[in-house]
Amino acid sequence: MALLRHILSKLGWYAAAFAAALALNFFLPRLLPGNPVDTLIGQALRGHASSETKQRVYETYVAEFGLDQGLWSQFLTYIGKTLQGDFGTSFSRYPAEVATMIGDALPWTIALQLPAVLLGWIIGNLVGAVAAYRRGGFDRSVYLSSLFLTAAPYYCLAVLLLYGLAVALPLFPTGGGWSFGNSPEWSAMFAVDAVSHWFLPFLSLLLVFIGGQAIGMRSMAVYEVDADYVRFAESFGLPDRKIVGYIFRNGMLPQITGLALAIGTLVGGALLTEIVFSYPGIGTLLYDAILNKDYPVIQAVTLLVLIVVLVANFLVDVLYGLIDPRIRAAERGER
Amino acid sequence: MKALKALPARFHIAAAVFLLIAAAGVAGPLAATAGPGDLLGGPFVPPGADFLLGTDHLGRSVGVQLVHGIRTSLYIGLLAGVAGTVLGVLIGTLAGYRGGLADEILMGLTNIMITVPAIIVLLLLSISLDTRSVTVMGICIGAVSWPWTARAVRSQIASLRQREHVDIARLSGSRTWRIIAVELLPYMMSYIVMAFVIQLYGAILAEAALSLLGLGPSGTASLGVMLHWAIAWESIRGGQWWVFLTPTVFITAITFSLLLVQSSLDTVFNPRLRVGKAAR
Amino acid sequence: MTLASITNLSAHYTAGDQRFHALDDVALDVRPGQVLGVVGESGCGKSTMASVLSLNPGPSLRVTSGTLAIGGRDVDLTDTASHRALRGGTVALLPQGALNALNPTRRVGAMAHDILAAGDRRITRAESLRRTAARLEALELPPRVLRAYPHQLSGGMRQRVVTALATLRNPRLLVADEPSSALDVSSQRLLVDLLRRLVADGLVEGIVFITHDVALLSELADRIAVMYAGRVVEEAPAKDLVAAPRHPYAQALLASVLVPEPGTRGHRVTGIPGAPPDLRAPIPGCPFAPRCAHALDRCADERPPRLVIGERDDSCWRSAEAEEAAHVR
Repeated sequence: MALLRHILSKLGWYAAAFAAALALNFFLPRLLPGNPVDTLIGQALRGHASSETKQRVYETYVAEFGLDQGLWSQFLTYIGKTLQGDFGTSFSRYPAEVATMIGDALPWTIALQLPAVLLGWIIGNLVGAVAAYRRGGFDRSVYLSSLFLTAAPYYCLAVLLLYGLAVALPLFPTGGGWSFGNSPEWSAMFAVDAVSHWFLPFLSLLLVFIGGQAIGMRSMAVYEVDADYVRFAESFGLPDRKIVGYIFRNGMLPQITGLALAIGTLVGGALLTEIVFSYPGIGTLLYDAILNKDYPVIQAVTLLVLIVVLVANFLVDVLYGLIDPRIRAAERGER
Repeated sequence: MKALKALPARFHIAAAVFLLIAAAGVAGPLAATAGPGDLLGGPFVPPGADFLLGTDHLGRSVGVQLVHGIRTSLYIGLLAGVAGTVLGVLIGTLAGYRGGLADEILMGLTNIMITVPAIIVLLLLSISLDTRSVTVMGICIGAVSWPWTARAVRSQIASLRQREHVDIARLSGSRTWRIIAVELLPYMMSYIVMAFVIQLYGAILAEAALSLLGLGPSGTASLGVMLHWAIAWESIRGGQWWVFLTPTVFITAITFSLLLVQSSLDTVFNPRLRVGKAAR
Repeated sequence: MTLASITNLSAHYTAGDQRFHALDDVALDVRPGQVLGVVGESGCGKSTMASVLSLNPGPSLRVTSGTLAIGGRDVDLTDTASHRALRGGTVALLPQGALNALNPTRRVGAMAHDILAAGDRRITRAESLRRTAARLEALELPPRVLRAYPHQLSGGMRQRVVTALATLRNPRLLVADEPSSALDVSSQRLLVDLLRRLVADGLVEGIVFITHDVALLSELADRIAVMYAGRVVEEAPAKDLVAAPRHPYAQALLASVLVPEPGTRGHRVTGIPGAPPDLRAPIPGCPFAPRCAHALDRCADERPPRLVIGERDDSCWRSAEAEEAAHVR
């Protein structure tokens, strides 16, 4: 099975990238002058408790990070714990487990980003293909508005939407994951409340993704529109939606690679959007952790993002092999 | 010069907007009598006769902060943009011209750097620096933003070096650096200019993102830092629109104009994108 | 008796504020059961004519006047919005470069269904596949082609698949736009045989074959029209035109190519001096006048009339004056 071999070789490459990410996550802060963990603990506990508690907490961390040992054995300790899913204890919310904090925040982020990315990808590419095919005024307005949506950082659009649709025109709640006084539970009332909080951040991500994908697809489809197969299909009077479908399918293939390469930026930008809406996901967790110098949480979040990006890249690679018949045929050794 | 004339109107408009904002960032801080950190009035004073753009949560003038913020953001952007472009062109040229093992290693590194989100690396770097000067931030951003440029430059150089005039130069015994400087880079100039605009755009965005997270330059205003405080002090929910809208509008205007400039340069210099079909 | 007749066809391209007058008052007739060859150098407007005739002019082309009479109705060529319903069923295109004419990510059978469904919304997929399989068989293609993606077919098979698709809805007129230009000589021969068979078997009622290759036309076409600078300068039965071209441009064009006819072997091949005219401004007289060895004074300023004599016609002041002199006498 050549397809399997292709996937396995990709898997090898991603394993190497993962090792690099792990090392980066560990060594980057530690290679800088001083002992950042040391200073960070000092800062995190500044003005906090008695010196006795301080000492106790400090010793916990020294033991946890293996700070009394060499850099390499610290790294091995780190890898061992990470592989077990143990990200240590939070500085600012001592003694909360970092893994639990991430586990609480992750579902919110997934609920926000996954639908926005998928829907934004489909709508954006369709809009881009239609714009390239129709040309003229429609094309120009799609192009400029998409360019605007992608040019502005995600959080700027988020700020505008939040102010416009929640403060100036109070249509939606002004932030958070649910209303004050409510608490997460499996009930219809909470679900309605959560969806109303979810909608604005979702909309802001969706719009940005649509813009980015539309730009990419349009520049791809501009070449496809003049392709011989489009002219041939037109010569039969095929309906526009059919022809746009052809262009979409062919322009989509490079767009999938584009998606893979953009995932890092997408995820990073989406995390910042959460901050604007105080949405209880990974982004807000990261923001609070940075404000409180909660180093274990920061490191766990960065590692999580790196892993998600690598996994997404890998999935897109596999998907690409499944979608493009030219690639599939090459895998099967047909001509 | 002819190419400049062929550029669409939106190029000229976007370039004018960008230059106008840049001019405000250069001249503004010189003209302002107060510093960005000076407490000049009460908190959250709306725009009016005293403060053209109002004051923030501490009573600092938003207008003064804005011109300083533009200056900081542009300074970091320029520094990082130049660093990123130079690094990218150097690495890409080396990989593309040398080929072989050097190419494999450099491009492997480039691909890993592209996969790993730059913002994460920057975050890990910034978190470890207790005080972050604008120069250090600029260099850090430049140091992680070169891979896209390197990859594109590499593929261009790899195809350029197949050209006859390069072969002739090589056969006539020119040194490598001379071939690169005389025979290769001149053909890349329009591309390098576009790459620089994109690098500048990316760097300004990166600075704003880091600052928003609370990892901005210490002891000075930047557009991202302004937005950070605006959000941290709930000015959106409080309806103090001048506080958060000012940095938002200016970040958007700078990035949108830069992207417009780049895309119109692209339509002129990239022959595949030229529209207007002559007779078939 | 004509199958299709084009009259008064003019069209121009716009690029910025400039106009390129690509077609200037063109008239052509296609007779039933015949192949009409249209020949000319690149830039003479023949590809523009293919796009207008196949009722699919590109976005930058503007048709200012022209009528296509086909199947008992007059199609206004300037009204492109009304054309879609006629494409594929009444007029079909056999495109240049069959290698890229097929959508690379669509199976042949699915593409065929799309084409048939464009003419008949209610056709079922099974019915489409059955009809397509029959047509493929007629062109000696195995039924497995239906399930194939284009890249799985050889070049020759793709050419036949494209031909099969183009004729799938039994169009009256097939417009072949330089389908042979990218083919090697033996593939060209196969294509010529294929097209002749389409007409002979009645799968299409007539073909307009557009090419720069006079030699190929002399074998394939029943009649040949010679185009120059957006005009038809001469039209005649293929044999007559090749043997005795009348218009000076047709003479020059034929002299510049080798025609594999007995007696022409060993003739000197001559090029045509000068360059084709600039089409940005309308040309009042004969467009060939600046390059013509026989040009008269009036050729530059007055448009030569179209002179029909028997089975052939040409537009040249020399023929017109000779004819006039013959009448006076």
